[in-house]
Amino acid sequence: MISIPDLRVILIDDNEVDLLLHERLITLQQISRTVLAFNNANKALEFLSSNITLPKIPPTVLLLDIQMPEMDGFEFLEAFYSYPAKIKSQCHVIMVSSSLDYGDLSRTYANPMVLKLLKKPLLASELKSAIAEIFKDM
Amino acid sequence: MKSIDVHIIIADQKMPVSTGVEFFNEIKDTLPDPMRILLTGYTDVEDIIDAINKGHIFSYIKKPWDEHELHRAINNAFEIYSTRKQLKEKILELEKINDELNRFIYSTSHDLRSPLMSVLGIINLSRLDNSVTDPNGYLNMIEACILKLDGFIQKIIEYYRNSRLDVEYEKIDFEHLIQECIGSFRHQNTSIQFQVNVDQPVDFKGDTFRISVILNNLISNAVKYQKPDESNPKVILSVKVEPHKATMSIEDNGIGILSEHLNNIFKMFFRSKNNNKPGSGIGLYIVKEALNKIGGTINVESKYGEGTQFEISIPNRNDFDS
Repeated sequence: MISIPDLRVILIDDNEVDLLLHERLITLQQISRTVLAFNNANKALEFLSSNITLPKIPPTVLLLDIQMPEMDGFEFLEAFYSYPAKIKSQCHVIMVSSSLDYGDLSRTYANPMVLKLLKKPLLASELKSAIAEIFKDM
Repeated sequence: MKSIDVHIIIADQKMPVSTGVEFFNEIKDTLPDPMRILLTGYTDVEDIIDAINKGHIFSYIKKPWDEHELHRAINNAFEIYSTRKQLKEKILELEKINDELNRFIYSTSHDLRSPLMSVLGIINLSRLDNSVTDPNGYLNMIEACILKLDGFIQKIIEYYRNSRLDVEYEKIDFEHLIQECIGSFRHQNTSIQFQVNVDQPVDFKGDTFRISVILNNLISNAVKYQKPDESNPKVILSVKVEPHKATMSIEDNGIGILSEHLNNIFKMFFRSKNNNKPGSGIGLYIVKEALNKIGGTINVESKYGEGTQFEISIPNRNDFDS
């Protein structure tokens, strides 16, 4: 069990089924009490920028899909890169994808903002250990 | 002149400011396409040599010209001009098709797999929350079918990537590479004993993607085609690296291959009839194709009922750099 009481998970994926699956998985496995799902990367960016007014930004894990229409995962990261440290430092990005494309995978590994790449279907055990790894020093 | 589409330029050699050859030489970079014909009253060998070497002249015509000769020269020049133009168009067309094919592979790897992975996710979730009563194990069957379909898609992607990606040479640590390959198959049959002997006293450089495709397919077969009643199933992997090549052997004590099938196993979609294992008949074909790309060779020895041994030789690209 992951014991970060105010942990929240933000899901960004254009696939509604995967959003639902991941939300259910996180709730069932009690990984986090707060799960916010966005089917569009722009909406997630808007939400995150609205967080600037919060007195304290809770520890956040972003599960980010790679291929999405309009704005894909890499474009999201590019835009998010310019966000204030107050928000960025609390957000930990895990990329989630069914891609086997070598270019996608090496771009993911090369991006310093991406802490982990998980393949779909997302497994509870893999997600848990990835999150535990992120917060092991906190 | 730059804005008009010119096919042929005929120039006189002796002109006040610059000679015909000088003029052709000058426009070589800005107007490379038109065919050049030089007219001259003098037959100076130096002129002719200059014309051909500097001016990229197609034809050289002596004054006073013979009308037929000039006509023929113009016709020939135009024919070459048109052929070159067609060739350029074909190249553009091919580049476009190549580009589309690349995007096709990309979307295969994403758009076809993505819904399959969602189905697997749903099956996983239904097991976690126990929300589906499934006394007949239908979910397991669905999962097996999805995994099989995904296996085919992965093979197609592998095949296309092998045929399209440029060969890239990097340092390879065989111990590491083989352990990584074995790692992804170990769970399929936990009773198999893997023996790995790597003898790598010198550096090896090769194409990591293709070598791992070769290893993965051969190890996958060695794992898949085991005898169901074998009490001591094993797969032996040996690698010997030399300055000029690496020799690898993958040996199993599985069901073996009928000798009359040995000649056909590297053919696309060939499947041996003496087993009922699922497969696409494309794995060994991909192995052969990948070896062709990197200049390697493969040999197979097999005794039906006793086991199979593949031996591969791959050139070491290490010494080409130094």
